[in-house]
Amino acid sequence: MMQRHLILEDGTTFQGMSFGSPATTFGEIIFHTAMTGYQEIITDPIYDGQMIVFATPIVGAAGIHAEAYESVKPTIRGMIVNDLAEVSVNRQRRMNLDRFLKQHNIPGLYQVDTRQLIRHLRETGPQKATIVDYADEHAVDQLVATVLTNKQVQNMATPKPYANPARGRHIVVIDFGLKHGILRMLGDYDANVSVLPYTTSVDEVLTLDPDGIILSTGPGDPRALPESVLTLIRVLQSKVPMLGIGLGHELFALANGAELMPLPSEHHGMNHPIQEIISRQIFYAMQGQGYAVDEKTIDRKKLFVTYRDLVDGAVQGLRHRDFPAFSVQFFPDAAPGPLEATTVFADFFETVEDYVEHYNQQ
Amino acid sequence: MSNTITNNKIKKVLFIGAGANDFGREGEHDAAIFQVMPELRGHGIEIFIIDDNPYALSLESLAATVFWQQLTVDNLKKVVRENNIDTVAPLFGGESSLRLWAEVVQSWAHGDGTVPSTLGLSIDMLLKVNNIPALTAMMADIGLPVINNYVLKAQDEANELLRELHLPLMVRALHPNQTNTRQIVERLDDFEDAINLAKTQSVTQEVIISRAINGLKEVSIEILRDVRGNKMQIGASEDMDPIGIHTADSLSVSPILTIQDQLIGRMRDYAFRIADMLQLKGVMHVQFAVDDDTHTIYVIKVSPYIDQMATRMSLATGYPTMLVAINLAIGVPLEEIVLPHDFGKHVAMMEPMMDHVVVKLPVFPFGELEAAGVHVNRQLNSVQKSVGSTLGLGRTFIEALEKAIRSAHFNNASFSPTNMKHINDDELIQQLIHPQDNRVLLLIEAIKRGYEIDELAELTAIDEFYFYQLKYLHQLESEIEANIDNIDALRLGKKYGLSDGLIARFWHTDFNIIRTLAKENGINVTYKSVEPSAGEFPENARQYYATYESENESVQISDNTVLVIGSGAFRMGDAAAGGYATTVVMSELRRLQYPTIIMNNNPSDATLLPHLADKQYLEPLEVSDVMKVVELEKPKVIVIPGNRRKLINALRDLNQNVVILPKTKHIPGGPNENQSEFALNIFYDGQQAYPINLTQHMAGEMRVIPQVAHIPDTIVSTNFEAPGVYQVIYYQSIVHWVDRMDLSNMGYDSWIRPMPFGQVAYLSKAMQTQWLRLTIRAAMDDLTSRDIELLQTINERPIVYPYSMIAADINYRLHLQPHEVIDGTRFEMGVGVKDYG
Repeated sequence: MMQRHLILEDGTTFQGMSFGSPATTFGEIIFHTAMTGYQEIITDPIYDGQMIVFATPIVGAAGIHAEAYESVKPTIRGMIVNDLAEVSVNRQRRMNLDRFLKQHNIPGLYQVDTRQLIRHLRETGPQKATIVDYADEHAVDQLVATVLTNKQVQNMATPKPYANPARGRHIVVIDFGLKHGILRMLGDYDANVSVLPYTTSVDEVLTLDPDGIILSTGPGDPRALPESVLTLIRVLQSKVPMLGIGLGHELFALANGAELMPLPSEHHGMNHPIQEIISRQIFYAMQGQGYAVDEKTIDRKKLFVTYRDLVDGAVQGLRHRDFPAFSVQFFPDAAPGPLEATTVFADFFETVEDYVEHYNQQ
Repeated sequence: MSNTITNNKIKKVLFIGAGANDFGREGEHDAAIFQVMPELRGHGIEIFIIDDNPYALSLESLAATVFWQQLTVDNLKKVVRENNIDTVAPLFGGESSLRLWAEVVQSWAHGDGTVPSTLGLSIDMLLKVNNIPALTAMMADIGLPVINNYVLKAQDEANELLRELHLPLMVRALHPNQTNTRQIVERLDDFEDAINLAKTQSVTQEVIISRAINGLKEVSIEILRDVRGNKMQIGASEDMDPIGIHTADSLSVSPILTIQDQLIGRMRDYAFRIADMLQLKGVMHVQFAVDDDTHTIYVIKVSPYIDQMATRMSLATGYPTMLVAINLAIGVPLEEIVLPHDFGKHVAMMEPMMDHVVVKLPVFPFGELEAAGVHVNRQLNSVQKSVGSTLGLGRTFIEALEKAIRSAHFNNASFSPTNMKHINDDELIQQLIHPQDNRVLLLIEAIKRGYEIDELAELTAIDEFYFYQLKYLHQLESEIEANIDNIDALRLGKKYGLSDGLIARFWHTDFNIIRTLAKENGINVTYKSVEPSAGEFPENARQYYATYESENESVQISDNTVLVIGSGAFRMGDAAAGGYATTVVMSELRRLQYPTIIMNNNPSDATLLPHLADKQYLEPLEVSDVMKVVELEKPKVIVIPGNRRKLINALRDLNQNVVILPKTKHIPGGPNENQSEFALNIFYDGQQAYPINLTQHMAGEMRVIPQVAHIPDTIVSTNFEAPGVYQVIYYQSIVHWVDRMDLSNMGYDSWIRPMPFGQVAYLSKAMQTQWLRLTIRAAMDDLTSRDIELLQTINERPIVYPYSMIAADINYRLHLQPHEVIDGTRFEMGVGVKDYG
């Protein structure tokens, strides 16, 4: 194992030992405080183009599991950890975290003082970073000159429609970088799923006559997406039950006139109390967000706030006053994360049933 | 209405202490009660506490009205009645208090008045929690995966059941009287014995039999629930050792490392559903058996009360479990809990995250017992054999493990890589299948001999992660051994927690040389704080551990600090009262307004409670660990138990100002069956010796002799090393209690020793005179004129409580199966009191 370096845009450097791929990469560096679910996190498309620092002291000890993929091909730019374990649970071949990252050409660094790095990042917020062999001036110049893409959704979302057929309700998922957890939850409800690209037209969706629509999770800044997406949402929300998740929630808010604000320091973890405002119940869920809906900009005639993060006060859920449409900032698919958040899907399917019943009675 | 705090009807709360220390009861309950009583008083509630344990700190608390009495149904009822108690808090005293309170409730007669309510649990649920089959059935009803129980009534034949069930089986008592042992029966021949033992432990002679699930992983989840039904997870650990070895005897690791998120999520969900089922207001520990190949999970134990897991998790994460628990119990919703200002704003509601590894290592009494000629059964099974535990904190598993091992006072020789060479392959395999206390060494030896990891994982039912870790440790040690004076090897060794002493052994030199070498090459210790946000937020941490990374977070807090060195794990013998002694010393130093720093690694005693010190180091207590803290904190004074000679000398060599808490190096034995041990007790304030009283000690019991004591001329100041309580000991062949003892009988064979801490605790309570506080005041030159006045007349004052101290009834046969008799004084675990009127 060879020594490599992490350089941040502000000039800070960290040393560590290399694992995974020996590639040199650039990305936006963020930190994650979840203690479990490293495989789900590094395969989650929302982290496309980012380097993730893990607070949990050891990663890799649970192996790489067939049922813990959130996408088949991870596209993070780097994984920075304190200690690395080399456990494999694969029945066919040795597949530990190190080999997994090698296979996907993702560099990793371990034996890094991740606590120091996280304490630093919580002050600076996310920034550009690179993993290199030599921490010289050239590497710093390269980093400063690099422009990171804001086309993550385009990179991650499906360009072609596909189906996940079953015999239950017909749910259309608009894909902005969908994670498997959402499909898994829909599978639990035996939903007949059509996944459509975000460039789909209103006509194409309505021709399919869905019982419900999900605006999927996805990476990056939703404001980088074309206006047509917001139009699509505005039309569909008035016709079919809709659930927006993560980026889908942010788009739902934008479509209804609210604005986003970047969080001072991105929040990625599963330990913040989230309160359902109507019942005052507190629960926990996986969260991963660089933006939050700016509450001051919410049009109270259209939307109301349903969930709130009790630590930073950030809006965690919205509901439309006139339509059966709602959204959550957190990830209710529990992959990884607490199961209690999955009640959001129960709410959604209840809305879907109401909608179906309404038409059946007519 | 759900947001109204329901504590308006709570006016008088009685805490039930845990009683004498025993296997699995090492002071954590007393520490919890001691911590929560002032908090509850802050809510305007009047507090009462009953306990019989002379080592109980809560009996010295100023926050409560104290009843130092035997824990019996009658005494409890009397205290409740005479003080108009409206609410009883048994959950903080743990399983034994809960059982006692359930007994009181069940025997509550019509004329006894209204049954006080139980803090945190309804009476109905309290009784269910005490009845395993009823609890299991309730859980099965709501769809939780439990293991079916078969109840064998007193007159039933067990053979019928054997036809239905397959070995191995678990056997335990229904309606246990005190102890309830989980026995695993693997051979048909052992079945009858197990049933018979369980019957003796049951009030109704009924026995529960269920399928044993040996070999699965054992996982603990700690959660809490508030009055509104909000629930959160506040800790989790996995045992390295599989089910079949008692969890207290297992090496436990936090956070959970080898189990995937989905399975942990399911366990969390089950624990939440159990808390809802019980309508619990408070904290709960749920134990699970997990098969991560088949994704099968069983709920195996539900403990909706404070236990060792609760206190350990609080230390491991920095989450203020006890303060939150008492608020929940009186009905304050999670969202409205106000913590002392030095905790972060949202700490109570945020699930604690960890960026370090915590290893809990059990401490077994085998070595000390064998040195005294007592042979015991060392094989680990479902009956607890460990008497204490230590915590090791580090950034890696290896570092945490190494530190836990050093904290347990293994000397380097017994953890030496060459230690296991003599064992042959057959024995090795036998011990892998039937592990003993030294299994970590054994696993390393097996790796060294080239056994494949999957083969070992199969044999031992230990996750392969641990073998990879131990293999790496072995490689690391070999590399260091092969590269003497190599700085890179030293750097790596320090990073993974190898001590200066261990590296010195590999390099055939002294630990001071290693320390200097590391320093010269910029390999410096860094202290990281233990705080529940894992770095996400700035927290005012008080708790630190050492590691070797780049950023150090600990800075000197003052140039006027007192550093107190704790006494480590709970052990048999006088160390049982060590935690008590350290805590009282800390409390007195705080009262005298010295900024205090504590170093310790015992998760169970009260020394690491959040507010007893300005700063805590969860560290091993070897000379090199202490030196590093001393270099950083530059304490004005260092308080050390007197048995730590090497440490005392090392610090004095560096011109440190050391205060010794007088304590003998060797555990004192007690009188045999045919004699009495008499003691003339003396307080020495650094200048002058004051007579206290005389005590008589027969095997298993000790009393104060009602007589004015005087110090003979033969005793001079030079007999005493430092301020403290001492005793002149002599033996006589007397086997009855005496009212007078003529000091001239004191023969030439008498000798002086520091009074054992256990006796100090007892005398402090019986006399209502705080001897340890006086000791520390004398040592710090803070005695007042009132103190002197008291000391001058103390020998003439009668004792306040005419109680004798009695050895607790510890079931050594069950736990240790000793071949010889165990000296209950020398190897004491717990004590109680008895009124001799």
